[in-house]
Amino acid sequence: MLTLHQVVAGYNDSEVLKGVDLEVAKGSITCIVGPNGAGKSTLLHTISGLLHPWSGDIFFEGRNIAHLNPRQILEAGIVQVPQNHSLFTEMTVRENVRLGGYLVKDASKVNRTLAEVEELFPIVRERANDKAGNLSGGQQRLVEFARSLMLNPKLILLDEPSMGLDPRTLKQVFDKVAVLHESGRTILLVEQNVRTGLSASTHGVVMESGKVRLTGTNTEIQHHPEIGRLYLGGTLAEA
Amino acid sequence: MELIIDAIITGILTGGVYALMASGLTLVFGVMEIINIAQGAFVILGAYLSYALAQHFHIDLFLGLLITMPVMFVLGVLIQVLFIRPLKRDRTMLSILVTFAVALIIEGVLTILFTANIVTLKAPYITQSFRIGNFYLSYIYVYGFLLSVVLLAGLYLLLYRTKFGQSVRASMLNRTAAQLIGIDVERVSALTFGIGVALTAAGGMAFGATTAFNPGSSYDLISRLLTIIVLGGMGSLSGALIASLGMLIIENVTAVVWSPTWSSTVFFVLLVVILILRPQGLLGKLEGRKQ
Ligand SMILES: Nc1ncnc2c1ncn2[C@@H]1O[C@H](COP(=O)(O)OP(=O)(O)OP(=O)(O)O)[C@@H](O)[C@H]1O
Ligand SMILES: [Mg+2]
Repeated sequence: MLTLHQVVAGYNDSEVLKGVDLEVAKGSITCIVGPNGAGKSTLLHTISGLLHPWSGDIFFEGRNIAHLNPRQILEAGIVQVPQNHSLFTEMTVRENVRLGGYLVKDASKVNRTLAEVEELFPIVRERANDKAGNLSGGQQRLVEFARSLMLNPKLILLDEPSMGLDPRTLKQVFDKVAVLHESGRTILLVEQNVRTGLSASTHGVVMESGKVRLTGTNTEIQHHPEIGRLYLGGTLAEA
Repeated sequence: MELIIDAIITGILTGGVYALMASGLTLVFGVMEIINIAQGAFVILGAYLSYALAQHFHIDLFLGLLITMPVMFVLGVLIQVLFIRPLKRDRTMLSILVTFAVALIIEGVLTILFTANIVTLKAPYITQSFRIGNFYLSYIYVYGFLLSVVLLAGLYLLLYRTKFGQSVRASMLNRTAAQLIGIDVERVSALTFGIGVALTAAGGMAFGATTAFNPGSSYDLISRLLTIIVLGGMGSLSGALIASLGMLIIENVTAVVWSPTWSSTVFFVLLVVILILRPQGLLGKLEGRKQ
């Protein structure tokens, strides 16, 4: 569904991605893991068009999207939920979710999608008129997920959805990742929480220093001896 | 007592015009995090445009805004696209230099065209006045205030009742998130800059109708406008409104109960006290914006 070929990208003159090759299969949940600063967020920014690759190609459903702007990439069916909280804190929860459909001209269509999204994420209806900034971190994440569905995307990029959450909330968030997946979306996920991330996924990718080091199904990655040694202190291989 | 009431009324009326002039500055900061040092020069440019239309074509000052505001809007968009957009890093710092250069260019051009002589805008409603209590007030103060109220209300409706306004507010709150839902933040920035400059055209006319000016008047103005938006809270429109009214009322009242010499000083002492207590300004947010 999504294929990256020798993608090089970075900020100003610092090169972060040093030739990334990646394949995301349709219908998968692919989890990217790797140490801080490996370039995981940079990779998602490059796919969503916030950054333009310096060289290399990004194919989405056969079309090269490497030089499209964020808006065109949204229209192609890719949406990103970034690592830092991205709700408009001064606006209400409903206004935030509705804004996910900013590109849709037809207001009645936005309302229909909103009703469907509220079915999947009841919090959107329960807290509709609260300021988004007044929600807890975990609740804000769920509202961000809800907002990402408003354009009916084919591929959802999630950057560390578990960041800063307690274990119970983390479980709720991952339950919702499963809900997004079951609703027919392909998911590309970045996760610091390697064990939780990989076990919730179908495929794994290990990144280090701006390159992809390993790819495979989640069991292959979880049981890869090098993984345990490199990043997990040997624990995951036994899990 | 009469004097004080008069000072308060004049303070409110002129404060409204300052709010109009400051609104563009704070709006532009809110969306782009740039400080437009040229705002004072834009005010004076607006005043000169109204002056030229009245002088050469006998167009009424208020009617002339139908010409000067669109012209200044286009000028603002061009300046954003040509000078601000290319700044890819350290935007806030570099914008100060770039807009200072813009201010110098405007001042230079105005001096060539109009010389450095002091001019005043002329219209019947500037010379005619009416009586409140024991005082006479020129009609222009009331008209200028009403103009500000109408334009600021229009700006409010634009921001809170339209889809474009929604994209402006979203860009102000979180630039990255706005891009990720498909908002073209650069386009929003250019249009916002244009709107800010267009509002300044109206503010400039109202300012020039009550105050004699020359191309150099922009320096005093920009320092006052910057003070207003810092006091109100950078990026806050209602903050700018409150700060403008507060500044002008305090200055006017000090001038009558004490002495005009002290009017600015008292205001600045209060400003310092308020900023010590509330560094983010009256209605500003303490936390930095999320990128
Ligand atoms: N906006 C930016 N400007 C300049 N350099 C940046 C920017 N964002 C990230 N970097 C640099 O790019 C490199 C990769 O950062 P990135 O955020 O992609 O890493 P990451 O793998 O997502 O790490 P983390 O797990 O901490 O989120 C880092 O060295 C970082 O300092
Ligand atoms: Mg990251």
